[in-house]
Amino acid sequence: MVPTEEARELVLAFADDELCVGQNHSWWIAVGPFLEEDLAFTSIAQDELGHARALYSLLTDDVDHLAYGRTPSEYRSAHIAEFLCHDWSWALVRHVLHDIGEQIRWSAITDSSWKELAHTAQRALAEEHFHVQHGLSLMRRLLSNEDGRRRLEPVIVELAPYGREYFVDPGHGLVDEGVLTMSMADQEQEWVKQVSGLLDEFDIPVDLNVEMPAFGRSGVRSKDFDLLHDEMTAVIRIDPKAQW
Amino acid sequence: MKTYEVFLKKEGKDPFSHAGSVDAPDDELALTYAREAYGRRSEGDQMWVVPRSVIIIADETELKMADRKHKHNDGQLLAELRRAAPRGES
Repeated sequence: MVPTEEARELVLAFADDELCVGQNHSWWIAVGPFLEEDLAFTSIAQDELGHARALYSLLTDDVDHLAYGRTPSEYRSAHIAEFLCHDWSWALVRHVLHDIGEQIRWSAITDSSWKELAHTAQRALAEEHFHVQHGLSLMRRLLSNEDGRRRLEPVIVELAPYGREYFVDPGHGLVDEGVLTMSMADQEQEWVKQVSGLLDEFDIPVDLNVEMPAFGRSGVRSKDFDLLHDEMTAVIRIDPKAQW
Repeated sequence: MKTYEVFLKKEGKDPFSHAGSVDAPDDELALTYAREAYGRRSEGDQMWVVPRSVIIIADETELKMADRKHKHNDGQLLAELRRAAPRGES
């Protein structure tokens, strides 16, 4: 099928989220909290960048240009994906919120009428299971500990409401066209249910219905984006023909 | 944190072999870390992750003492005796 403009917007936004999160996770290479976590976290970073590449390649033959060659207002990433999270507690909380969402988002396209997209989703979903398991195991472990909870709770309260931006609907026709088998609104509900369930386990009160001033899908970038974009385009600015 | 030993088995007849160790706060994370550290490139299709504390460790001195000539039953000694003996007498 020839994907509609809406379907392309859906994939572009997803790819941009994956690119930003993958790039952000990679700040932790060699400085993770301990060796094993360092390896696991940066291996997830690689997976996320792989997902971004797979999604961009559904839209273009020139993946590098799409990933690195746009002006900031042409990106569609959610703000939560762009945040630098230069503190481990922030990085971990974003990882969990992102990957719970990502698992739901892949699940909504594994049977997509856009066959290549469905194929990409089936492959990614297998990895996603491990990402979620990793994030949840570590988060539960740390929240069960007084010091861990003291550090994580305020970050969860601040960051969690931003997660709903992942589910901004690029167009209501996507379910009718069969591109999505679960509407963005239903995906959002599922995300809220899963995140609330986790927070209820630890009696952390978070109002996920707060409207956050995040309009990444409309082309408005967060305050952290410029630094992130500078970092991710450092190599291609030196050598535009670099092979990865 | 606890230390875990990680064993991998490749497809085929090769037995499990020691891949390395990981430190983790619990069994579930040990499995996650072991997979990322030693199995992320499909180095094996089966994995055992064992808490080091349950491993029964043998005494090293006793192990070294166990190496004696008559335990090497490879026929080499007999062959040497045969070569040394005059023809027809062995």
